[in-house]
Amino acid sequence: MGLVVAAVGASVLVAAGGAGRAKSQVGSGGTFKVGWEQSFGVTDNFDPVGEYLAEAIGIHSNLLTRTLVGYNHVQGAAGNKLVADIATSVPKPTNGGKTYTFHIKQGVMFSPPVNRQVTSADFLNEFKRLASPKDGQEYGFYYNVIKGFASGKGKTISGITTPNKSTIVFNLTAPTGDFLYRMSMPATGPQPNEVTKCFEGTAGKYGQDLISSGPYMIQGIDKVDISACSKISAASGYDGQTKLILVRNPSYNAKTDSKAARENFPDEFDFLVDANKDDIFSKVSAGEFQDEISTPPSQVLRQFVQRHSPQLHLNSGDRTWYLTMNLTAAPFDDIHVRKAMNWVMDKHALVQAWGGPTVGKVANHIVPETLFNNQLAEFAPYKTPGDRGSAAKAKAAMKGSKYDTKGNGTCSASACHNVYLLADTRGQDTKMLPVIEASAKQIGITFKVHTINGAYPTLQTPSKNVPIGERPGWGKDYADALTFFTPLFDGRNIIPNGNTNYSLIGITPSQCKTLHVTGNCNNVPSVNSQLDKCSVLVGQPRLTCYESLDKKLMTTVVPWVPYLWSFATHITASNVTKWSFDQFPGGTGYAHVAVK
Amino acid sequence: MLIYIARRLAWTILVVFTVLFITFLVFFKLPNGDPALRFAGKSPTSEQLQEIHKRLHLDKPFYVEFGYFVERFAAGDEYGWPGLGYSYGNFQSVKSQIVERTPRTLWLIAGAATLWLILGVTIGVISAVKRRTWIDRAAMGFALFGISAPVFWLGLMALFIFWRKLHWTGGTGYVPLSSGVGPWFSHLILPWCVLALLYMAIYARVTRNNLLETLGEDYIRTARAKGLSERRVIFRHGLRASLTPIVTMFGLDIALLVGGAIITESVFNLQGLGWLAITSATTQDLPDVLGVVLVTATAVAVMNLVVDIVYAFLDPRVRYA
Repeated sequence: MGLVVAAVGASVLVAAGGAGRAKSQVGSGGTFKVGWEQSFGVTDNFDPVGEYLAEAIGIHSNLLTRTLVGYNHVQGAAGNKLVADIATSVPKPTNGGKTYTFHIKQGVMFSPPVNRQVTSADFLNEFKRLASPKDGQEYGFYYNVIKGFASGKGKTISGITTPNKSTIVFNLTAPTGDFLYRMSMPATGPQPNEVTKCFEGTAGKYGQDLISSGPYMIQGIDKVDISACSKISAASGYDGQTKLILVRNPSYNAKTDSKAARENFPDEFDFLVDANKDDIFSKVSAGEFQDEISTPPSQVLRQFVQRHSPQLHLNSGDRTWYLTMNLTAAPFDDIHVRKAMNWVMDKHALVQAWGGPTVGKVANHIVPETLFNNQLAEFAPYKTPGDRGSAAKAKAAMKGSKYDTKGNGTCSASACHNVYLLADTRGQDTKMLPVIEASAKQIGITFKVHTINGAYPTLQTPSKNVPIGERPGWGKDYADALTFFTPLFDGRNIIPNGNTNYSLIGITPSQCKTLHVTGNCNNVPSVNSQLDKCSVLVGQPRLTCYESLDKKLMTTVVPWVPYLWSFATHITASNVTKWSFDQFPGGTGYAHVAVK
Repeated sequence: MLIYIARRLAWTILVVFTVLFITFLVFFKLPNGDPALRFAGKSPTSEQLQEIHKRLHLDKPFYVEFGYFVERFAAGDEYGWPGLGYSYGNFQSVKSQIVERTPRTLWLIAGAATLWLILGVTIGVISAVKRRTWIDRAAMGFALFGISAPVFWLGLMALFIFWRKLHWTGGTGYVPLSSGVGPWFSHLILPWCVLALLYMAIYARVTRNNLLETLGEDYIRTARAKGLSERRVIFRHGLRASLTPIVTMFGLDIALLVGGAIITESVFNLQGLGWLAITSATTQDLPDVLGVVLVTATAVAVMNLVVDIVYAFLDPRVRYA
């Protein structure tokens, strides 16, 4: 075990030292091939307006779709820092935080066959598409703060004005501290109306004819005839199922970009779906694939860890995995029980069930540390030696509980026995179950496990009244804690189907009635007011506000047992001469990779 | 015969329709199957979900939704005829996915079936004719190995030896014929051989047993008594009679493989119809599942019909009214 830990530490240190490996022979040219396991799994067939897959967002942001503001596509806190991309600078809000004015660089061009300069109208065009759910919108809710956006339905958006070709102004309904982060998402990038108008209201079709504003474009897009909608056919480089081939965009003007953001070494990127995971890693070992979007088999991971290989890259995936407890369901409607669960859980064993320290590190609270610039690194309210859990501390916490009918620090009431535990069928879920059961048994809680292939839909339905679930994990959309707190803890967002506030924090008795929640709905703690307070702040005050909310949730609400902050794991070929991790999507920083 | 074929075609349509209806019903009733959640993003609102339900007709009872499916199928949709809609998983047209993947599976089956039929029957005949000799024992030993060895293991071994070590063949993945006969053949030869091995072994055993049984019949003894050559006895009288069950097997095996060569397609990264079937079933992507079911059910029904017709030619006792 020591070897593994040391190796992982070394690898993480390598990754933390800069932009991955950098060999002396870094140069332009070549094809960077990426093996993509099973299927692309895209959510809108690569049309940025509805594309929510992290890997696809990474490809857009690095290579295809420039936005007003973006990132340098590097790892860690530096990778979360916003920089100007198509905008001349990162603007400061005016009008009390409700107005953002962007000035657009001259010379930013669309790829062929459009081949013209990007203007403010192209951004407005994309926001109109984004306002129409029929285009496949997936994270349009982030832009409801723009005046007239939600009611725009693709026709007009009163809160967006374009005084001239190089200026675009956004007027918001309320100050929104993370608005600039929202403007870094690929769905806000410019798209030319002369092409997109042909795909209006047909989700998933534009992706195969995407017009690039970045350094690369889909192979064959230059051959597509856009003179009439009826003449448009799919570009040859993307079939939506097996291959996505990107080649250099001849219209890209590097002077409008920065080397810090995009170095663009390879001549071509091939993203190739491979049905066989072993085949992917076999090809990576042989140098036929340079990178992978896959989950390395444990034996492969072990080989690279044991030889301290610089080809193994472990970076923070900015994702928390946790057990969720329903604040309305017995016995978890009692904070003493929830705290006791946190104390007693053997988190070390849970991480082992996932594959050990190569998979991630023990989570001590809600939001991954990189999103707080590591300012909350020392906060571990339920820390136990070796993260093995403490029955003594759990029993001490349990003593104030109404379910401790015997007064001996165990959950002895009948509600503590055969508690419904919802589990999934993934390998790690199956391995975690004995650990969860053994840990909880120490404080008298026993479970009746219900295993479902795909547990989320059940967990997301409040009327199912699931007391505890082991499946959830949550990752950021961009580097702001709001992307965790609002969807996960805002009581006003609880909906009958697809709900993500699994713990039902902030649910009211009237909501319970409407949603058929049968548990104890009186005095369920709420953090709505603090969410509202934090969301309008910017900079350090915002960070401090969310840190305080994280602490509050973990100490006075306690909806979760967080146990894992997972790594983003990549194994690259030996002929990769430069590799970088992009913290924004949590994947490869394609803008900085090079191949021999 | 024409009336018979027409009647069988009508039954085929009914069978395919019934299979689709059952598939639709099963997926509709699955507890985790609300596809609207896939379209609504990570943090959906009730309004969004309602809008998507309405758009996909998910707010209607399943039989109404099935009615929409049948109507769209018959009239065609934005992707042409037949209207199969688009995947809930990736917004791709189902038809384009079927069209993209079908040649991969068909080439795989065609090559493998040719191999196993020719070699399997040949080995079976030799084994029967040379029964109880070392040739027979070697052939049946080979058959035992072919039946016993798991396809995924054979595939991985074949790749390791013939691709990675000897560099005799192309690697994994599918190369279309339009990219050249050489690369196409080079990437398919290993999947053909591996898939064929299992079936070849089975066909060899079945052919041997059938032929041995046939060769013991009275009319074979009569043929020999009439002074016919042994070659004529075996090939003209013995093999023809023993081939009828082989034809039945062959037709059904091919039909089943249309949607069922999943392991071979996975190991060799061919991503054909089998692969589409398994990925769409595990992600509960109903339109894709229906597309694959339609193709495989049609293949099974049509191959059954073909087998029955071929049967009539092979066995004169079979008559169709």
